[in-house]
Order: sequence, then structure tokens, then C-alpha cells
Amino acid sequence: MLLATLLCYIGFTALCLSMNRHYEDLTGRPFSAVRGQALRFSGWAALLVSLWIALVSQSLGQALVQWFAALMSSAVLLVFVMSYRPGLALSLAGIGVLLCPVAAFLQLLA
Amino acid sequence: MAWVHTWAGLTFGWLLFAIFLTGTLSYFKNEITQWAQPEITPHEVSSADGVNRAQQWLGENAPDAKRWFIRLPDERSPELGVSWSPAKGGFEEQPLDSLTGTAVKARESMGGEFFYRFHFQLQMPYPWGRWLASLAAMVMFVALISGIITHKKIFKEFFTFRPRKGQRTWLDGHNAVAVLVLPFHLMITYSSLVIFMTMIMPLSILTTYGKNTQGFFDDLFPAFKTAPASPDRAPLASIAPMLDVAADKWPGSRVGLITVNNPGSANASVTLTRHGADHIPHEPGTALVFDGVSGELKNESNMGAASLMLAGGLYGLHMGHFAAPLLRWLYFLAGIGGTAMIGTGLVIWLGKRRLKHAKAGVLPFELRLVEMLNVASMSGLMLAVVSFFWANRLLPVSFTGRSDWEVRAFFCVWGVALLHAFARVFFRDGRSAWREQLTVAASLYCLLPVLDMATAGGYLLASLKQGNLTLAALDLTALATGVFLAWGAFRFRGQGKTVIASKLAPAVQEAR
Repeated sequence: MLLATLLCYIGFTALCLSMNRHYEDLTGRPFSAVRGQALRFSGWAALLVSLWIALVSQSLGQALVQWFAALMSSAVLLVFVMSYRPGLALSLAGIGVLLCPVAAFLQLLA
Repeated sequence: MAWVHTWAGLTFGWLLFAIFLTGTLSYFKNEITQWAQPEITPHEVSSADGVNRAQQWLGENAPDAKRWFIRLPDERSPELGVSWSPAKGGFEEQPLDSLTGTAVKARESMGGEFFYRFHFQLQMPYPWGRWLASLAAMVMFVALISGIITHKKIFKEFFTFRPRKGQRTWLDGHNAVAVLVLPFHLMITYSSLVIFMTMIMPLSILTTYGKNTQGFFDDLFPAFKTAPASPDRAPLASIAPMLDVAADKWPGSRVGLITVNNPGSANASVTLTRHGADHIPHEPGTALVFDGVSGELKNESNMGAASLMLAGGLYGLHMGHFAAPLLRWLYFLAGIGGTAMIGTGLVIWLGKRRLKHAKAGVLPFELRLVEMLNVASMSGLMLAVVSFFWANRLLPVSFTGRSDWEVRAFFCVWGVALLHAFARVFFRDGRSAWREQLTVAASLYCLLPVLDMATAGGYLLASLKQGNLTLAALDLTALATGVFLAWGAFRFRGQGKTVIASKLAPAVQEAR
């Protein structure tokens, strides 16, 4: 579930950055519509891939329960962290991206 | 739609806060019971040994009972639980030590069972508490749906939380805990209605079964249909081999409740059900029935029908018996999220209306009444909960009726908190009511670990040496709760005037 959880957090961060206001607040750079589109697409893609990974790794019931748990907790974590430590929210997503290959490897081993 | 949300939320908010908070605690029902009865210690015991000991104890101590129930120890409950229905009626239970098979002289306490029962029975006579709780669940469902409709910018403000902005922050917080954890809120509310569906929507049963509603349950759970005891006596077969049969029938799943009907009689039978922790759906009807004398498998029933799977699935999701520690903590946190959603909603209702009276500085009667109920239902309940734990450690261990006194402590403190809230809100101001109750609650929660060490430190140390973290985890959770409440009390420091100003401040800041 580690990989699916990381992808949920990354997906939500991308979706958050796809919004003009949050993008400028978090990065301090001007927003462009094209970048917003790309972030929105990759955000939804990350969430869908995360669901797919959860589904292939265990039984349907457990997969859905754990995926919803990952989805909700990563959204809560992101909103909480970005309200008090905006920089940390992005760093966590960056660390998440770096950890994805490791998590994927662990999942293949399991 | 907004008015539905506002008024449904206000009228049932206080009750729903209590239902959600006690429900949240119930996710750790067994752990709370462990803390409340630290005399019962866990041991590594095979299920065959455990069931043999239980069978022997019941054979010696309750040979004439109509029914025996045996629950084997598991990772969340250390005791070998036996209970029985005596021939003269009623119900008795006794925790046994799983290693020696003798009765444990544990202090009398309902433990987590108290919060669990309160969550859906509200300490009212059967069935009124269940009806009121179901009505509250229905209102909660209405409040959720109307809240979603009222919240127009659900996607645009999905990630929005603006701290330190007074009323704005409360509204953002209310929306955030509602929207971010919405799947949980919808699941928990809808499933609570499913759990009581045979009670709140009985028409389909009544039209088919008429007055014989027991017939419906007999058809639904054939394994639990029992005949009266036959007058002929016969020794009960050993239960342990039946567990091996169950292991073959249910791979990867342990046996949960073991029921022995008419023990010692020639028509005795033994019913095994699956352990709730090993699968998500709640399947009370999935059972194996054995002949109690020959020990042979007589009957097998399951709940494979799609409708039963759906209802059982929602039931199981609500109870969360299947949740391993991490998921159980997430359930607990999501429950706190639901409780916070209700609490912030109540605060917002009052905050909005308070602004109109900011200049006069005097609140009208009805707003004071709401504030009093807010204080008593939130900080008062937190005080009542911690009093239950304090009573558990302070009442003498061998004092008769101590279990009832723990419950009395809970309600007496809640009542005193209501009186205090009344006195403060009507004769001084609401802030002092919040501040004083939160300060007392914070101290009681922070000092609970100290009290535990002083009165039951030996059990705590022994459990840590065994590598069992349950008792310590409860103490640490109490400490964390205390720190949070202290922060809350700190926010209410000073006089009322400055706050009304700070609540107006966001408008000023936004204008700048």
C-alpha cells in the first residue's frame, strides 16, 4: 500500500497546484493555463494509477478500504501541512516521487 | 437547503457529538477494556487448549445452563471469555485466565463496553435509545447531504484552510473535515441505518412473517435456531476437534464465538462462527453446527446472498472489526474528524449569530442557551469521559457495584458540567465556561498517566515487559488529548471583548 499512498499524496499535490491561487501561494511563480492543465491531468492520473495498484495488490474489499484510507489521509495531510508549512508540503511530494521506485520495487518483491 | 443543514445540525448536533465521540472511542473498545481490567494478562495459548479450559470451567461451574458462549483470546482481548444463560434466566459472564483456565479476579468494569453501548443505546431503556440514535443517524444523513448541496465550492475550495482568521477558519475547518473525509462520513452514517434496518423499516418483515418476527431471524440465521433441551442427559463432546473442522472449512479465518446449546443434554449442539477480524463483512449467519454429543458436523450455513453481503459489508465497515492497528488508528482519527465536524458546526452556528450582538455585548437568552449546551455537550462530555477512567483507577478494586459507580461518575460529572456551564454562561460569560472546563479536562487527561502509574503501575510495567503496548498507548493518547485541550483552554484566555474584535478582524484584514 506504500506505493498507492505515495501516489495519492502526489496526485493531490498536483491537483492542488493545478489551481491558480494555490500554485502561486505554494511556488511563488506565475501560473500558466497550460501548466495547470498538465498538473490536473497528472493529478487525476496519479490517483487512478494508485487505485489500480491497490486493486492488483490484494483482495477487492481490503483494496478498496485501504485505498480510501490512503486517499483521505493523504488529502488531510496535504491540506494540514500546506496551511502551516507550505514549503514542506511540496518537499513531501518531491520525496514521495523519489520514493516511488523504491515502493514499486518493494511491492514487486511482496 | 441551507436552512435544513443549519437547523438539523443545531437541534441534533449536541446528541450527534456525543454519539460520534463515544463511537470513536468504541474503535478501541477492547483496548479500553484491557486498560480498565489490567489484572487480565495475555498469554500465548493454542485455541485447542483455550477451548478445553473454557469447556472444563463451564462444565464445573454452569452445568445446568441453557447456553454457553466461549470467546477465545485474540490480539485485542487477552481473556478467555465465557458467558452463559442460567436455567433460571438472565445472563452471566466471567473472564478466565487463558493459561490456567481459572476465573480472573479482575476489577468489575464495563470498560470499552460502556462507550460502545452508549454510542447506540444512549443509556436509555430498550428500545428507546436505539430509536433515538437511529433518528439522530437519519438527521446526520440529511445534514451531510444538505451540507454537500449547500457547499457550492466543494472542488474549488477542496484544499482551502486559512488558519488564524476567526470565523473564516472555523468555516474552513468545518468544510475541510467534512469534505476531505467525506467517504468515511457517508459510509458511517449510511451503514448505521443499515445496522438497525430491521428495527426502523420492519414492514417487509411484518408483511411476510406477521407477528412471528422471530421466524425471520430463524430463517436468516438457521444456525441459531434452537430446540428446548431434551430431558435425556448425555456428556458433551470435546469442542477442540470441531475447531480443526472449522479451520478446514474456513481457510485463513479463525473461529470467533462458540455457542453451546443445551450443554449436557442429549440434543446438545455446538455452533461456531467466524472471527470478525479476519474478513470485512459482518457475517453473523455464517456458521458451522455440530452435534453436541457425537461431535459430528450437522449443518453449515453462510451469508452468500448478494443482499446479505451488501448489508453485512456495510455493517462490517461500520464496526471495523477487521482493521489492523494502522487502519484502526485511521478509523479513530476519521471518527475524531466526524466529531470535529459536528463541533465546528455548532460553534459556527453560534459565532454567526453572536456577531449581530457584538456591539451590545449582551447575548439574548436563546443564544446563551445554545452556548450553554455547546459547552456542556463538548467540553462537558470530554470531562465525563475522563472521569470514567479516573473512577476506574480510584474506586477500590473489590468494591461491590464499582462498575455502576464508574458509570455514575461519568453521568454525575456530565451533569455538574452542565450546571457549571449554566452558571457561567448566564451569570458571567461563555468564555469562562469554556476556559474553566477545558482547563480542568486538560489537567485530568494530562494526569491520567500519572494516576495510572500511581495506582496500577505494576500492571503497566508488566505489560511493557511483555511487549504489550496497549496500556501505555491509552495513557499516551490521554496525554495527547490533554495537551490538545490545554491548547483549547489557552485560546479562551482573557476577556470576551477582545475575541469579538478578533472575530471581526478577518473582514478588516480582507479589506486591506
